[in-house]
Amino acid sequence: MGRHANVMTMKWSFNIFVLALMVLAACADPGKPELPAESYKIDTVPTPDGLTAEVGGLDFLSDGRLIACFIRGEVMIYDPKTRQWTLFAEGLQEPLGILRVTDSEFLVMQRPELTRIKDTDGDGQADEYENATDDFGISGNYHEFNYGPVADKEGNLFIGLNTASHGGGILPELRGAFNKDGRDGDNGRKQMYSVVPYRGWIMKLTPSGKLEPYCSGFRSPNGLGFDLEGNLFVTDNQGDWVGTSPLFHAEQGKFYGHPASLVWEEGWTKGNPFELPPAELDRMRSKAAVLFPHGIMANSPSEPRCDITGGKFGPFAGQLFVGEMNQGRIVRVMLEQVGGEWQGACVPFADNIGLRKGNNRLVFAPDGSLWVGQAEHGWLGDAGIQRISFTGRTPTDVLQMHITGKGFDLEFTQALDSSGANPANYQVRRYRYEYHKKYGSDQIDVQDISVNGAALSGGGKKVSLSLGELSPGYVYEFKLGDIKGRDGTPLANKTICYTVNRLREGGAQ
Amino acid sequence: MFTNTDDMAHNLLITKPGAREAVVQAALQLAEKGPAQNYIPNTANVLWSIPVIGPDEKATLSFTAPAKKGVYPYVCTFPGHGFVMYGAMYVTDKQELPDIGNDLNIPESRRKENGAAGKTTGHGAHTAKPAHPYVLKPPYLYRVFIEGAGPAAIAVRLPHQLSYCWDAGSCRLRFAWTGDFVDNSALWAGHKDATAAILGEVFYRDKTAYPLRIKDPGVIPATAFKGYRLVDRYPEFHYTIDGTSVYELIKPEADGSGLVRTFRIPGAAYPVWFVFTPGDGIKYTSSAGSWEGNKLVLSAEEAGSFVITMTRDK
Repeated sequence: MGRHANVMTMKWSFNIFVLALMVLAACADPGKPELPAESYKIDTVPTPDGLTAEVGGLDFLSDGRLIACFIRGEVMIYDPKTRQWTLFAEGLQEPLGILRVTDSEFLVMQRPELTRIKDTDGDGQADEYENATDDFGISGNYHEFNYGPVADKEGNLFIGLNTASHGGGILPELRGAFNKDGRDGDNGRKQMYSVVPYRGWIMKLTPSGKLEPYCSGFRSPNGLGFDLEGNLFVTDNQGDWVGTSPLFHAEQGKFYGHPASLVWEEGWTKGNPFELPPAELDRMRSKAAVLFPHGIMANSPSEPRCDITGGKFGPFAGQLFVGEMNQGRIVRVMLEQVGGEWQGACVPFADNIGLRKGNNRLVFAPDGSLWVGQAEHGWLGDAGIQRISFTGRTPTDVLQMHITGKGFDLEFTQALDSSGANPANYQVRRYRYEYHKKYGSDQIDVQDISVNGAALSGGGKKVSLSLGELSPGYVYEFKLGDIKGRDGTPLANKTICYTVNRLREGGAQ
Repeated sequence: MFTNTDDMAHNLLITKPGAREAVVQAALQLAEKGPAQNYIPNTANVLWSIPVIGPDEKATLSFTAPAKKGVYPYVCTFPGHGFVMYGAMYVTDKQELPDIGNDLNIPESRRKENGAAGKTTGHGAHTAKPAHPYVLKPPYLYRVFIEGAGPAAIAVRLPHQLSYCWDAGSCRLRFAWTGDFVDNSALWAGHKDATAAILGEVFYRDKTAYPLRIKDPGVIPATAFKGYRLVDRYPEFHYTIDGTSVYELIKPEADGSGLVRTFRIPGAAYPVWFVFTPGDGIKYTSSAGSWEGNKLVLSAEEAGSFVITMTRDK
């Protein structure tokens, strides 16, 4: 039986191969070089011998050279033209973010502080390490990672402060005031905790140098990024109070769900926030714009980077790309605002093209390629830097997704053949995640949703789906079937998860 | 008995010999069905298992060890864990197990950590693999967690086998040692409760409430760390005491017998005191000011630039 099936598969593959050759032959224009078969390709960037290339941060200089900081404290510059690395700075503690200020001045987020590193004598190496801010607490807990910085258009900087892990203790000497109410129970061995100021917060550093608490409720916000319009988005990691990893639209004064950080809210009088009824915490919190279903989309999302390339990286200009630590994947996010609230869909990107695990940091190069820095840091991942570039062949993929009164509109990068109009090619189910102190959440209220219609329009690029049911508070998961573009190319990705916070008012559009 | 002392959920599976990777892959294939099955795939390759337990939970598994000789992997198949979180149970009649450092049945990180061959200390003769893509020549520094200082510590390596720890939280020299520098391997691996290990003998600790005073010798000044700049690779720390900028550069004595601390307080508008604790094992001399017991008093002008030499007692 097995052998028979193999023979059948081979025959079928052979037929597809012949068909593909025929299509290519028919399209071939002798005057133009043929496009490669793949839309995206991966190059691995060589790193120096002796470097533990666990990447904490990436950015580019104005001349196209890369700056990178690594977990062991090095800041190095890579020239893609010569493929040579040079050392810029050293001795930092676990730097997890870097931002170019000028070609000789960078901001680096390390354990003890945000540091402004400058080469003032022009010899190519840093000689000044200024404290840009250290106005936040450190307990010495191993999990108090610091993330960022990212800059808004007004010159404010934003950083993220991880909570402490109950898997570890704190040092005898702390920096900052101690508040035992920031942890659950006397020994804090139950949930992530915040016993020194602003752990679990996103902080704003004003141009005058004042560090202000911005928004709270984060557990492990390993990724901050702005979209083209200046909206700040922050990822978090599944765990206690985080049913599945989310992407938040981070706004001043809001609380995003993990209770520990609440003790540092100005005027907080409610004691230990872990003792508040979960229903009260649930009412206080702002929900995620997008949920990344665990085991399906991402288990440990990292930095969100907006595609600023204006098309050089393919058809997804303006969208967010989010790193994933647990698998060889980047997640692409398609956002929209409905009733004033952000929501949207996520879809795998760059699966099966040779991307390693541990995708911790992303940055777009001036040439429009996406550079990905990897880390493991005692966890699942990898080390090194890879570069994803667009080959010029447009993938057949979902480009935008919008909720409608009766379902969803999917816009594709190119026209679909009639397979796009077959409702059987869209398998839909919906589920939600519980908000509770337990580590993670199962999918609950799982329900298959019928697809009552799939109408093609817009020259074959748009599919309007009518669903049997549409409710807020759920992730709608789409498994797309054997849908092809008119040129015969199959879909690049077949799983899409849309987080419905609000329904569109006014019914069908 | 399996006690989950970690901050994440874990399960535990014992598999047939050689089946670990297949079981891990099968667990990943469960995708969204994983949680309901505790990420335990339905396969004969799984001999025994403990379902997912949360932090601080316990579970017990009773089984009769297989009679057949072999290396039986154990593994956590919670998504993402299976590639790094595993080990091996040996059914053998040999008295000794293979050396952990060379045992390919356990993860690379554990081999390196425990194996004699893979011991990774910081630098120099102890280093099996280079710590950095360059050769470190003193002076150089690391920002670290280190015992005996606050969590914003700076460990500085000097020539002459001298090292010191300067605390950027409290803005002061905390202690100094001779011998090798530090081993950062636990810190760099991201281990819980990790600190940099001091590879030498501490000969000095500052036990004063704070060594500098300005305007009033009885008042401990408020401090703020501003950063440092490198002068011939030596860090010159910049901080403020009651709002007045202080610059402090620490070098070794020419014969390695102690530390030479050069202070600059160019904007001092008041007298400055430097204080030490008698009997701390150090002989103090200064380039300016006058000693009153364990206090050096400097006029505002003298405080502009002065040197305090700290020589180890013989």
